[in-house]
Amino acid sequence: MDGREHQEDVTLACADTRDRLQGYLDGTLAKSESVAIFLHLRDCGGCREEHEHLQAMFSMLDELPQLPVPDDFDARILDSIPLAAYREMEPLRRDRVPVFLEESYLPAWLRDARTRLAGLSVTLAAVIAVAVADQPQPLLLAAVVGAVPEILVRCQGWARQATLAWRRAEN
Amino acid sequence: MFDRRQDLKTIRRCKRGEEDAFKEILERYRGPIYNLCYRMTRNAEDARDLGQEVFIKVFSLLDRFDENYAFSSWLFRIATNHCIDHLRRNRLRFLSLDGGVGQDGEEYEIQLPDGGPEPDTVLQRKEALQRLDEVIGQLPPHYRAITLLRHDQQLSYDEIAEVLHLPLGTVKARIHRARNLVQQMLKARAYDI
Repeated sequence: MDGREHQEDVTLACADTRDRLQGYLDGTLAKSESVAIFLHLRDCGGCREEHEHLQAMFSMLDELPQLPVPDDFDARILDSIPLAAYREMEPLRRDRVPVFLEESYLPAWLRDARTRLAGLSVTLAAVIAVAVADQPQPLLLAAVVGAVPEILVRCQGWARQATLAWRRAEN
Repeated sequence: MFDRRQDLKTIRRCKRGEEDAFKEILERYRGPIYNLCYRMTRNAEDARDLGQEVFIKVFSLLDRFDENYAFSSWLFRIATNHCIDHLRRNRLRFLSLDGGVGQDGEEYEIQLPDGGPEPDTVLQRKEALQRLDEVIGQLPPHYRAITLLRHDQQLSYDEIAEVLHLPLGTVKARIHRARNLVQQMLKARAYDI
């Protein structure tokens, strides 16, 4: 385009305008950029023509006709769906929980009833001793540590139940 | 454009093995996927086969669908990749910008609904659409796919980025380049639209 044929725009050159025309038509430019292009198009015949051409192309691209789908399109697809497999998998899928909520995630020795009972015994003894001890801090620590296996197993169980209830409600 | 929540509900029914849910998905997406395949391959038989293969693949892999993403994005990604793989396998040639021979040498016509005698403007529009369609069919596959996703399927830039697993900036640049190619090809053929 010959710059002498129209009023020179001082804020945006023709090359810049044309480079941004797509964004202008898509509406993805910043407001200030859009305004600058709008003003440039008002004054520049060449860029206006380019804009109109691009706009026509966009409009045509959006209007490409949708072709009819062949009548026999679905049959092969529907025949291939592994419906039985999905139905068999459903109970397993519904009862699936994150791996850290699986019972086997905690070590067997920690889940063992004897470990938990021993831990709770330590906790109970420590709590009783706290009442008569001059320095209760170590005993309090022992009480907490003793309860850890039981707390872990209980919390995991509650979280698993809550997850399963949520999954079933969701489905 | 596509209802993400509605899709998710239907997909969960599919996973329970409800046949009607699969039919609903087909009802919703068979048109867009068939049209995408058709415009990528410009061949009705290939489009039917590819479209069917896409749905067969998707319906057999529903357990791998990540519910954090839109089902439509996943479906379009599989369809786009499947079409591009098909084009690569068949080593189709594409027109250079300065013209040449069509990729299959066959006449190509858009099927529009039949009507009575058409006014000139409607006829001109139809011919222009046909020329544009022809040019799109000669774009390199990646540019063709992104143009169709943007204009034919009306996906947003963000959705296209999700479909193609590309950064937003790359999507914008690629669409920009694809449209420039379309424009140049139309000019090179002295096609007026």
